[in-house]
Amino acid sequence: MSAEDFSILLLTLRVAAVSTLLILPLGIGAAWLLSRWKGRGKVSVETFLSLPLVLPPTAVGLVLLEMLRRSGPVGRLLDRAGVEILFTWKAVVLATAVMSFPLLVRPARAALEEVDPRLIAIGRSLGRGGLDVFARVTLPLAWRGILAGTLLAFSRAFGEFGATILVAGNIPGRTQTLALAIFHRTQIGRDASAFRLVALTVVVAFAAVWTTEILQRRRSRRTGP
Amino acid sequence: MIELDFRLPLAPFTLNVSARLEGSSVAVLGPSGSGKTSLLEVIAGLRRGAVGRVALGGQVFLDSESGKFLRPEERRIGYVPQDSLLFPHLDAAENVRFGLKRGASEKTFAEAVSILEITSLLSRYPATLSGGERQRVALARAVATEPRLLLLDEPLAAVDVELKERILPYLLRVRDEKKIPFLYVTHNAGEAGVLAREALLLQEGRVRAIGRVEEVLRPAALSSADPDASFENVFAGMLEPIEPAGSTAYLRISDESRLLVPGPIGVVAGGRAAFGVSPDDVLVSTKALERSSVSARNVSPGEVIGLEPLGADTLARIFAEGVEWRANLTAAAVADLELSIGKRVWIAVKTHAFRRLR
Repeated sequence: MSAEDFSILLLTLRVAAVSTLLILPLGIGAAWLLSRWKGRGKVSVETFLSLPLVLPPTAVGLVLLEMLRRSGPVGRLLDRAGVEILFTWKAVVLATAVMSFPLLVRPARAALEEVDPRLIAIGRSLGRGGLDVFARVTLPLAWRGILAGTLLAFSRAFGEFGATILVAGNIPGRTQTLALAIFHRTQIGRDASAFRLVALTVVVAFAAVWTTEILQRRRSRRTGP
Repeated sequence: MIELDFRLPLAPFTLNVSARLEGSSVAVLGPSGSGKTSLLEVIAGLRRGAVGRVALGGQVFLDSESGKFLRPEERRIGYVPQDSLLFPHLDAAENVRFGLKRGASEKTFAEAVSILEITSLLSRYPATLSGGERQRVALARAVATEPRLLLLDEPLAAVDVELKERILPYLLRVRDEKKIPFLYVTHNAGEAGVLAREALLLQEGRVRAIGRVEEVLRPAALSSADPDASFENVFAGMLEPIEPAGSTAYLRISDESRLLVPGPIGVVAGGRAAFGVSPDDVLVSTKALERSSVSARNVSPGEVIGLEPLGADTLARIFAEGVEWRANLTAAAVADLELSIGKRVWIAVKTHAFRRLR
């Protein structure tokens, strides 16, 4: 592995980690709300949140690009605040976060739905507040599902391409992740070095998905501690 | 004092409860689906949607008029559901400690553990505990929070008779030693008679009867309201061992009366105990019975004070040995014996028909 390969791997791991950490509280919050929401509109909200799973990544990227450009609704505000996002590593984080969000929410919601609401009620009756019960009962009982979702989201962020290239470009050393570098190297005929990056991607992705599978199996088997 | 005056729409009917409960121990009876659990959940604050007023000892939990709703964690109510609902990811000790306030003394924990005798269970997880053990841990968990009121939702329904006999004493210790008042949901009139001083009878969401336990638990009223109700005879008193080996003992239930009951080994003279005997095990005779002519050791003259239909049978209420007995008789037996209120009869109960409750 060359120094350049290592630097690309490091950048990719960093943006995938930041993106995952960014969506973690939001994703758990959304999953919890969806798991408790019984009213109308739930299916519509779930469908909307799942759209990045089925839309072409480039379509999501284009929407983000329109929102973030200086004349766009979000870009105007960011410009006023002096924050620059487009074509920086922050854009990579944002694109990967949007694309991986549903992969965190869906398993986390399923895990939270499995927590018996009466256990939560008992926790409240024992004098613990809602947040305290969430931290001490709900999260520990749902952690495997949440962790599985987190690893899936990380894997998605790690390999994201379509949305990233539209909002962050393909700038070596700044926004070029493994997926973008593989594309770039095959375009310029550096197939051998592209395959080195493919191998790196496979190792990281395999480890993440394998861990997810193991955790899911344990969750379904669990009856005790 | 518990003040209840609320309405809660449920699927088949509206739970409509208006009651003032004074006692330290209240039995809540009624058929399955009559709203008993919902009543407890409204008091605990676990069920939203109730309209009206709920207060305990002057503290208002719910007042729809002023829009007040005290959150469950602020009510200091200990709730023990039928299936224990221990936290599966915590061992018994962590379950009991769950509700302890920050800075709570170790004494609070130790006391709950000691009363419920769960020291040996503390390191075990709920999945490895038996039904009775889980109930004791759940009780300890609720007691350790030093609640102002305990809500017990059929805590003995899921356990067998033997375990029931073991858990009842713990409930009595919680009531008598910790001085924690409770509402106790049960179908068993005998249990209610031992544990409760007041009773509330619910039917299809409405209060059918409320008052002193012996008034509400009258068989005719209870059996028509709650088909699942049982009418065990329950007697409490002082034990007087009569054999060193402890195979039998006297249970003194008044200055004049005592019953011969099984004497568990280790009975201490003067110790309090309660025994139950099924109405099916009380034999009734219109001819004088002598101890020398029957094997039953408890033989007494008495008087029929009530004959109440109980399904196809009749529950005869007989006053003997200074207390009321209930005997379950077939219609044919009532006809053949020509039983009527005021008639003199004899009752006979075998020593081994008594089972110890505490």
